[in-house]
Amino acid sequence: MPSNIVVRRIRGLINHLRKITDTALDRNPAGRNLTVLPGDVFIVSYPKSGNTWTRFLVGNLIYQDEPITFANVESRLPSLYVHPDRKLRKLPRILKSHDCFDPRYRTVIYIVRDPRDVLVSAYHYAVKLGIVPENWGVEKFVPALLDGSFESGVLVNPRWGSWHDNTASWLAMKDSRKFLLLRYEDMLDDPERELIKVADFLGLEATPERLARAVKLSSADHMRELEKTQAAEWSLTKNTRPDMAFVRKARAGTWKAELPPQTVADIEAAWGPLMRTLGYELSAAPPERDELPVVLR
Amino acid sequence: MQSRHSSLQRLGAALAQAGRVLTGRQIAGRGLTVFPDDIFLVSYPRSGNTWTRFLLGNLINQSDPVRFSNVESRIPEIYFNRDRFLRQLQRPRMLKSHESFQPEYPRVIYIVRDPRDVAVSFYHHNVKARNISDDYPIASFVPRFIAGEFDRKFGSWRDNVLSWTVLRKGDPGFLLLRYEDMKRDPVVSLTGVVDFLERCSFRKIDSSAAALERAIELSSAERMRTLEKQDAGLWVLTKGTRSDKPFVRSATAGGWKSQLDGESVAAIESAWGELMQTLGYELASTAAAADKLSQRGLPS
Repeated sequence: MPSNIVVRRIRGLINHLRKITDTALDRNPAGRNLTVLPGDVFIVSYPKSGNTWTRFLVGNLIYQDEPITFANVESRLPSLYVHPDRKLRKLPRILKSHDCFDPRYRTVIYIVRDPRDVLVSAYHYAVKLGIVPENWGVEKFVPALLDGSFESGVLVNPRWGSWHDNTASWLAMKDSRKFLLLRYEDMLDDPERELIKVADFLGLEATPERLARAVKLSSADHMRELEKTQAAEWSLTKNTRPDMAFVRKARAGTWKAELPPQTVADIEAAWGPLMRTLGYELSAAPPERDELPVVLR
Repeated sequence: MQSRHSSLQRLGAALAQAGRVLTGRQIAGRGLTVFPDDIFLVSYPRSGNTWTRFLLGNLINQSDPVRFSNVESRIPEIYFNRDRFLRQLQRPRMLKSHESFQPEYPRVIYIVRDPRDVAVSFYHHNVKARNISDDYPIASFVPRFIAGEFDRKFGSWRDNVLSWTVLRKGDPGFLLLRYEDMKRDPVVSLTGVVDFLERCSFRKIDSSAAALERAIELSSAERMRTLEKQDAGLWVLTKGTRSDKPFVRSATAGGWKSQLDGESVAAIESAWGELMQTLGYELASTAAAADKLSQRGLPS
């Protein structure tokens, strides 16, 4: 038997055994198999839309003892994709999720971001993760991400859907559950104003001092400083390129300089109506007919 | 004692799950491996999914009629079958699911049924499954049905139907079927499905008038009732449920008019009236529903 087949068989066996022990010891991240408990709060977004920043803001408003850091965020506002269900049962239940609509989620804070910026950010994160093929610029990466030919369990997951599926699935279901929509761009514009919305939504105490503290402890500058010393401790940055930052520009509109016009046109052609409803101005002429279903308008 | 009991239970569950992984016997469910050529038969529970499986199964494979004892290898459902078993089926596969919107389902035939009839059917189904007792009033059941209490992972009827129709209606990989249309004229509905399957490059189906008639005949409610009597103990959905209550019940449209009280009808219509109307289900308590709708309005 050729040695490469032997190696492949052994690797397959090791993978199988790992799956068994992970399952037996309940070590698989909860993800979609999460046991949803009454009272759970979900911070949901498509990846690269400000979810981590929101977790810092909310966490720093809730916890007055010590600031949120990359080292403690997963035990205070944990992600579904880091801890197994068993462990999540013992942790505070404000949970980060990227899943498409899940009817079991009863209280949802949904963060939406201009998909053109999301895709730029996704590109840089993919490079940091080392999963972008050699010589691929953003102009090759984005179309591959859009047509589904680029697959990666970290950044792209079939169960998260496209930006459009993710966003539309939650917006369509907003009036049958407790739902708060946040726009990343509004948060950048005035983080305190948006954090007050969250505080009202969750019934948190939001004195001006507490708000100012939370915003300061969650600023991009502060988070960059934390990342410098804690990147190796956090699951999303561990084993990624240390020369590239997770907390990148934290700005709106960088797509204008970074995305080729054709890519922008493709994104707008695919998702234009939903983008416009969310206040993201299109660079091309808007389609003549608004084809959005009523619940999304 | 309580917590020790539950941790023992959890340990037992974990060991059972590990055993299933070890032997490749994991139930697919939400962990299903999805292939790009899959076709999903999706609906809220009690909306005609099994009947549709019979109709399509009898049309796709005309040499061996569908029964309850073989339907799970023809058009299997994802909740009681193993992923490994499902992976080995002939491609493209056709699978039954009750999930609300799933972005990874590539092609979907979605069956919708008047939620007032779904409520009645679901009530009887829960009696059969021993979730509620014989004397549990249907008027108490309806509010719990509206809240989607009986199977939370599928959501409420509205969650399920709206999520699919908003996200996929008009998409070439999506076909919407109404149970009532299938009842009224199954030939027309089946022809629509055959066209859809052809567009999906499904294997060739004999859809001559005779073949359609035969599939409809072999899937009639009477025949399914007879088959249920023979196979109920063998089929995963009826096994262990009350044998004095049938799975194939009245199989009609509009039964709610005699089975639901006015208050229950009004409750369903005020919760979901708008969506019901867009699907062609006329409201009985128009005043109440319209009032409620204008109150709620639609956020822009």
